[in-house]
Amino acid sequence: MARLHCTVNGSPCDADIEPRLLLVDLLRGRLGLTGTHVGCDTSQCGACTVLLDGQAVRSCSLLAVQAEGRAVTTIEGLAPAGELHPLQQAFMNCHGLQCGFCTPGMVMSAAALLAETPRPTREQVVSALEGNLCRCTGYVNIVQAVEEAAATLAGPTA
Amino acid sequence: MNTSSSPSTAPLAQRYGSGAVVRRIEDPALLQGRGQFTDDVQPEGQCTVAFVRSLHAHARIVAIDTAAARAMPGVVGIWTGADLLAGGVKPAPLQLPFPGSSPARLPLAHGVARFAGEPVVAVVATSAEAARAAAAAVSIEYEVLDAVVTPEAALAADAPRVDAALAGNLCAEMRHGDAAKAAEAFASAAHRVRLSLVNQRLAPAPMEPRALLAWVDAASGRLHVRASSQMPTAMREGVAGTVGLKPEQVRVVVGDVGGGFGMKTGPSAEDLVTAFTAWQLKRPVKWQAERLEDFAAATHGRDQHIEAELALDASGRVLALRAHTLANVGAYPSSTAVLIPLLIGPWVITSVYDIPVIDLHQQAVLTHCVPTGAYRGAGRPESIYVIERLMDAAAQQLGIDPAELRRRNLVRPEQMPYTNAMGQVYDCGRFEQMLDQALALGDWAGFEARAADSQSRGRLRGRSVTTFLEWTGGLALEENATVRLLADGTIEIFTATQAMGQGIATSYAQLAVDIFDVPLERIRIVQGDTDRGNGFGSAASRSLFTGGPAVQVASRKSIDEARDKAAEALEASAADLQYRGGRFVVPGTDLGITLGEVAARQPDGVLRVDGRAAASGASWPNGCHLCEVEIDPATGAVEVVAYASVNDIGRIVSPQIVRGQIEGGAVQGIGQALCEQIVYDRDSGQLLTASFMDYAMPRADGFIGFKTAFDTSVPCTTNALGAKGVGEVGTIGATPAVANAVVDALVRAGVSAPRAQAVQMPMLAPRVWAALHGG
Repeated sequence: MARLHCTVNGSPCDADIEPRLLLVDLLRGRLGLTGTHVGCDTSQCGACTVLLDGQAVRSCSLLAVQAEGRAVTTIEGLAPAGELHPLQQAFMNCHGLQCGFCTPGMVMSAAALLAETPRPTREQVVSALEGNLCRCTGYVNIVQAVEEAAATLAGPTA
Repeated sequence: MNTSSSPSTAPLAQRYGSGAVVRRIEDPALLQGRGQFTDDVQPEGQCTVAFVRSLHAHARIVAIDTAAARAMPGVVGIWTGADLLAGGVKPAPLQLPFPGSSPARLPLAHGVARFAGEPVVAVVATSAEAARAAAAAVSIEYEVLDAVVTPEAALAADAPRVDAALAGNLCAEMRHGDAAKAAEAFASAAHRVRLSLVNQRLAPAPMEPRALLAWVDAASGRLHVRASSQMPTAMREGVAGTVGLKPEQVRVVVGDVGGGFGMKTGPSAEDLVTAFTAWQLKRPVKWQAERLEDFAAATHGRDQHIEAELALDASGRVLALRAHTLANVGAYPSSTAVLIPLLIGPWVITSVYDIPVIDLHQQAVLTHCVPTGAYRGAGRPESIYVIERLMDAAAQQLGIDPAELRRRNLVRPEQMPYTNAMGQVYDCGRFEQMLDQALALGDWAGFEARAADSQSRGRLRGRSVTTFLEWTGGLALEENATVRLLADGTIEIFTATQAMGQGIATSYAQLAVDIFDVPLERIRIVQGDTDRGNGFGSAASRSLFTGGPAVQVASRKSIDEARDKAAEALEASAADLQYRGGRFVVPGTDLGITLGEVAARQPDGVLRVDGRAAASGASWPNGCHLCEVEIDPATGAVEVVAYASVNDIGRIVSPQIVRGQIEGGAVQGIGQALCEQIVYDRDSGQLLTASFMDYAMPRADGFIGFKTAFDTSVPCTTNALGAKGVGEVGTIGATPAVANAVVDALVRAGVSAPRAQAVQMPMLAPRVWAALHGG
């Protein structure tokens, strides 16, 4: 057993865990944060994307112990309870989701992009989302949603 | 002066009803991580099942040793095929409305394994890790047998047989049309065009892999199943049959479904085994497929090899169509797998064209591959691909503009209702109207300037026009809806169609708003519970087209019944009451009663009303799709650079949703044309594309610049709503649109037509490069 100290969505998480426990299994299992999904076995689909100290990471390919001392943010913690983050609002406005299975990973990848690059070009949006597979939307409205959210977050151009 | 009404005062139906752009009612939960997919349900004491799968495409199972696995920590049960038989599970034979033969399937292979990845042993343990570890400790001795994975090879006299008890690998075949008349037409035709086409095998690959959770309900003793399924009732029947229960002893509940695309229509073998083990153990058992398990053992789509030819007169009128199709239906085809190539595809193969004579020979062939099944379009994409490739080849050969050649052959509005050569009746359609609008939307006439621009950048540009139709309904034309008016004012509507991400709940709610005249938030759509209602489920683009009218009927009936009860409560005549905004009023007075208050007066606080609707026939969504591609001659890489479509899906309820269906569907069709393919090794029968590293799905760097338009002037006449269905149109049109544009670009670049036409899908860079540069 290993002892893990980290924060998940702002709350401290202190847990005795098996060293081999994957971060996604800690989130989905022990913590009941089932918004983070597993869509493949090879870290290709991005459905499990969460933020680790603000960076988009594949929680299926990280050990939970690698979150030691760090801050994990999942889709459940992106906005204060009862509120929608501008990205979540934009996905809804733009019909950027259909089945919604890839959506949490998509939103978290986009959140990491916008934190680093508040006014991304179309190419930067597409590039940031290349590691997230969606089978329903054809990405059309997802890209539009990220661009809308970027505009909302960045405010009017000077 | 601003004459438009402000949103706050516009009538509710205008703001939220059919035809309005609304935010989907599905979205808030899904966007905040509060979706309830099957694996999100984690009951106390849940066990996990892991499957040991055949390592070989074809092998005799000599011995299975589970002793070591049984001794592993956490293991609570292990089942083999023999154990299933001993437990009363019967192998499921193929059931077809015509002659056909295939091996009967036991959900765990018994005696012989017939495809690599077929489940052989099920291991149930108290955790996923324990189940996986114990599965790895199961030892199976195989005698490896020869395997065959292509339909051509499988039909050879000396081919390894998928079932030694059968005479050969021909599962079923059908002939359609009139061979003698076709031979006459071809003999006298001014032009004959022939193509060999491969419609490659695909993985449906919904982002949520298959999943099922089963447990015995303590209170009722019944088997409860939570599944990711497009067809809850079919799941109930399948589970009940396998476990040995009556259907009413099983309850299937479906929550959020992370995409289906046809792959989640019937219960899979693993679903059945999971439910069986839960019943045996009287404990909750879950199976969450890994992606590898979906690639290796969930149904695949397409996989047809076709020789097709057209006979045309001197003016370009098609005289006859002849085709021979070999469909690789895999090792244990379901009836769906066989009906897709033998019947459903042929129904639409003459498409929007007035083709008087056909001669079709359709053969479904057994191989040591995963069984095929429905995949978005299910037979229509394959057939439309054939006829559209032929039309372009004919245009090329005759030197006629491909749009003009199509125009000369379109079924005309005055021919409606039109009976095609397969006896299918198109109720309506204005195909030339779609063609003309699409040619304008995609600026067909301005192509040469764009091609010159591409050339100036060292790129080869090609274009295509695709006119086509499809068939919807799945032959399940009847649907029921139940409205429950609740005391808190909620209007709850249940249907047995099944959401799988397409947004059908929002569309139903919009239809209900039209009738109830209440805000969208007051409507609650419930699906996926076999204790509340049963039906065909969602497939073949049928949900809105059959379920929509049922929702309308039930909604209207509920207002009628509520009116009578309101009249009693208000001591007024029902005929005098006016209904508005969820409330009945006595005109000229302040007397009134809301739907919720009416419901509260009922014995259990609920007013329940059932409604039923039936379509009188299939519907025929159609459209015209224009595509332009650029090829990089240095690499052969193809890029879609323009895509314009005009679609006739009849009446539109949710504009944003249907656009999403067309464009998302088109990207799946582009995926087939350019990158996706399931590959089996021809010698070993091993699956070579078992992950997203090997199976190339479109990603965000693909094409997203769609111009999409709808023509709603031709409502469907076979259902009260006038909708035609939209789930599959985009996919069906896009594949030939892209492929023909690639062929066109090659021919324009000087590649001979036969050489360009021989490039098969997926049109990967090396294939295109080889066509350009030889080799």
